[in-house]
Amino acid sequence: MEIKNKIFYLENKRWIIGSILFAILLLLPIFTLLYKLIYVEGNSFKYLLENILLDYSFNTFYLILITAFFSLLFGIIPAWLVSIYKFPGRNFLDIVLYLPLAIPSYIMAFTYSDILSYTGPIQSFLRENFYNISIFFNQDYLQIEVLGIIMALALYPYIYTVSRVSFSLVGANYINVSKNLGLSSFKTFYKIILPLSRPAIFSGLFLVLMEVLNEYGAVKYFGVNTYTTGIFRAWFSMGDIGTAIQLSVILLLVVFSIFYIEKYYHSKTKFYYKTNSTIQSLGKLNRINKFLAISLCLIPFLFGFFIPLIFILNNVFLTFSSIDFKDLLQLTYNTISISSISSFLIILIALFFLFIEKISKTRVNYFISQSISMGYAIPGAVIGLGLIILFAFIDNFFSSFTFLGSFFILIYAYVIRFLAVGKSPIKSSLEKHPESYDDTGKNLGLGPLKLLQKIHLPINKFALITAFIVTFIDLMKELPITLILRPFNFDTLATQTYEFAVEEMIPLSSIYSLMIILIGSVLLLFLKNIINKQVNVS
Amino acid sequence: MKNIFYTLIMCSLFLSCDTNEKKSNEVNLYSQRHYSVDKLQYENFTKLTGIKVNVIKANADELIERLRNEGENSPADLFITVDAGKLQKAVELELLQKVNNNIIDANISDDLKDKNGYWVPITYRARIVVYSNDRVQKSDLSTYEDLANEKWKNRILVRSSSNAYNQALMSSIVANLGSDVASNWSNGIVNNFAREPKGSDRDQVKAIAAGQGDLAIVNSYYIGLLLSSEKEEELNAGKSVSVFFPNQGENQRGSHINVSGIGLAKNSPNKDNAIKLMEYLTSEDAQNTYVNNSYEYAANPNVKPSKIVQAWGTFKRDKLDLNSLGKFRKEAIRIFDKTGWK
Repeated sequence: MEIKNKIFYLENKRWIIGSILFAILLLLPIFTLLYKLIYVEGNSFKYLLENILLDYSFNTFYLILITAFFSLLFGIIPAWLVSIYKFPGRNFLDIVLYLPLAIPSYIMAFTYSDILSYTGPIQSFLRENFYNISIFFNQDYLQIEVLGIIMALALYPYIYTVSRVSFSLVGANYINVSKNLGLSSFKTFYKIILPLSRPAIFSGLFLVLMEVLNEYGAVKYFGVNTYTTGIFRAWFSMGDIGTAIQLSVILLLVVFSIFYIEKYYHSKTKFYYKTNSTIQSLGKLNRINKFLAISLCLIPFLFGFFIPLIFILNNVFLTFSSIDFKDLLQLTYNTISISSISSFLIILIALFFLFIEKISKTRVNYFISQSISMGYAIPGAVIGLGLIILFAFIDNFFSSFTFLGSFFILIYAYVIRFLAVGKSPIKSSLEKHPESYDDTGKNLGLGPLKLLQKIHLPINKFALITAFIVTFIDLMKELPITLILRPFNFDTLATQTYEFAVEEMIPLSSIYSLMIILIGSVLLLFLKNIINKQVNVS
Repeated sequence: MKNIFYTLIMCSLFLSCDTNEKKSNEVNLYSQRHYSVDKLQYENFTKLTGIKVNVIKANADELIERLRNEGENSPADLFITVDAGKLQKAVELELLQKVNNNIIDANISDDLKDKNGYWVPITYRARIVVYSNDRVQKSDLSTYEDLANEKWKNRILVRSSSNAYNQALMSSIVANLGSDVASNWSNGIVNNFAREPKGSDRDQVKAIAAGQGDLAIVNSYYIGLLLSSEKEEELNAGKSVSVFFPNQGENQRGSHINVSGIGLAKNSPNKDNAIKLMEYLTSEDAQNTYVNNSYEYAANPNVKPSKIVQAWGTFKRDKLDLNSLGKFRKEAIRIFDKTGWK
């Protein structure tokens, strides 16, 4: 076995070297920024420490905590109910609980602040009809706690998705055993299902936390200073690159510690479990519990999707006369084409690295595979600036041709930032398949390309489609990279939404938000279909 | 007949080669402005001159970073901002070149001009005080400095110090009165906050309507936008407040203003077209379009504000050299950080 791997490694050395070079290419903009750090004056850290670090750290961690708590709540409870019990509307809820992912969190934040505001529909209605109650609701809703809940509403589907699959996989065997042992349903959930599903839930939570750490628009609007807003403030407003990079490094450290805490914890408690073998029969509920289950599942859907959608639709009708449909069509075309080309490339590159990692099994390739995911932890605008600095330098060599301002650079930045998103579904799918496939393939003398083409592409088909859709939706919502690196006259639905929103013209931005939400929803419904096929979720 | 046709084709080919080499039919903008009115202006300019306008819209600082790194290769002809401070920053980084043009010069008010001749203002806006009609007497209001007075405790609303308009206001205070006075002022304002800074300028006005505070520091045109809102409740919120221009007394310096302006990029590849666009944007026609769509004040003295804005009356502008808004920016942010203006 060892020897076989060695031979394979020697025969396919150029693949491995190729992957190393490619990884360096992807990390180059990050290296460029670190290189810039050398020229930074030393005293900015003192300023940071004395004035702002404490406040920024507190806000960042507090926001993470609130968002994590509520997204776990919104994600796990419905996933548990839908996976285990039978109640009216269950199939419908199972589908629509994914949909909030189609709404970018900044749009969710702007929308809710409008809904809740003094001039919004709720307070206006109460003021006119129940004046005494309206006084109680006249509050300042731009609070960090409210922001945390809004972000959780936009992000919980990451947790719902993984929990739903995991709960179904753990499935019937364990539930039956625990029931025979006399555990109540709640205890079964708490003592058995939840611990067994923890790695899956954590992978979802990790994505949620990354999104929170990188959020800029919503956080700034709510007046909450986090590491990310600090980076922008230091870099752009003060021209203080040193402080900005120091904050970026702190941000990266936070990300790594979250990641490694779980890894350490996970390595101490290893579970081996058999996945669902028998189709599980769904538990029955009495009337009151049915009602309770439906309500609990409805909450995240209603607040995370239905209400914002209605509000956005209402704005669209209000501004209907000023909608430029030709423009809308053009922006939709731009958005779809750039997102699909980029997603396709990202999937291809993710597959390349994962595949090399799988067949070579060297430490180097494991390390490479980990480090190219780093881009996801870095704010988009920071990646954008890294690329500007790098390519301005390169462009000065080729005076006849410039990279900056081309689609190439934009897509390059997308790849760096979103590779991790595309990687994760493919990775978990590759890990599920036994090693023996590779060994048999290798024994039959298949080279890496053939191995990929004959074995891995077909058996990972669904994971690839999943990865494509998830990446596409994220790209469609992307803002900071597109803003700074786009070519002349290139607008997307997201940039147009932002431009209206930032000028405080939310109603005019609604038609563009609606388009993002529609495209996202269609893709998510399609994705749900695939997931159902992929794992036999009952 | 055939010969004439061929000659024409040859001529046009020759001419097109020529234009390709010496002057293209385009102009490239890096712009921080992204109002709907800008699109309209560029379309009108293209109709008038046949010159195509290409735009990249992003935050000013990011655009500066892009310009700086692109250096000689930069395709940008013009750099447009909504803050004189950013124009000054671009000048400091040697990204702009001087513009000497009589038409543009004649189009704009003298006191708004860049003294060094690097950038051209197109519109300006005042950062003013709006106050609750029910809870504040106009006679109680006087200057920016007075807002630090204890009588306004728990009554002042303003957005975060990350916002460029607040940074410009603080820079103007530092430039006019010095760092120490500015620090004390900031301390006073922070003590008088009705709530932590957050939201947009429009949200501050809504918060007055909601009774969460009594007065707010906002940009003038947002009130115009609120008063032209399609939503009745927003309209009501706009009507529940009045506009006050601070520092209008005889010996006082006038209300703080900031310009939205254009700079000609140092390595502009389509300089002639760029200057034509500058001429156009400062012309009375274009200035009228700005005023009536975005509720800003025109840089061209012959153009009156929109009706909504005219209703607030005229005011005295702070004559401070607008480049100070950039020069003192870093100091302004330090003061914000030290005094806890979030």
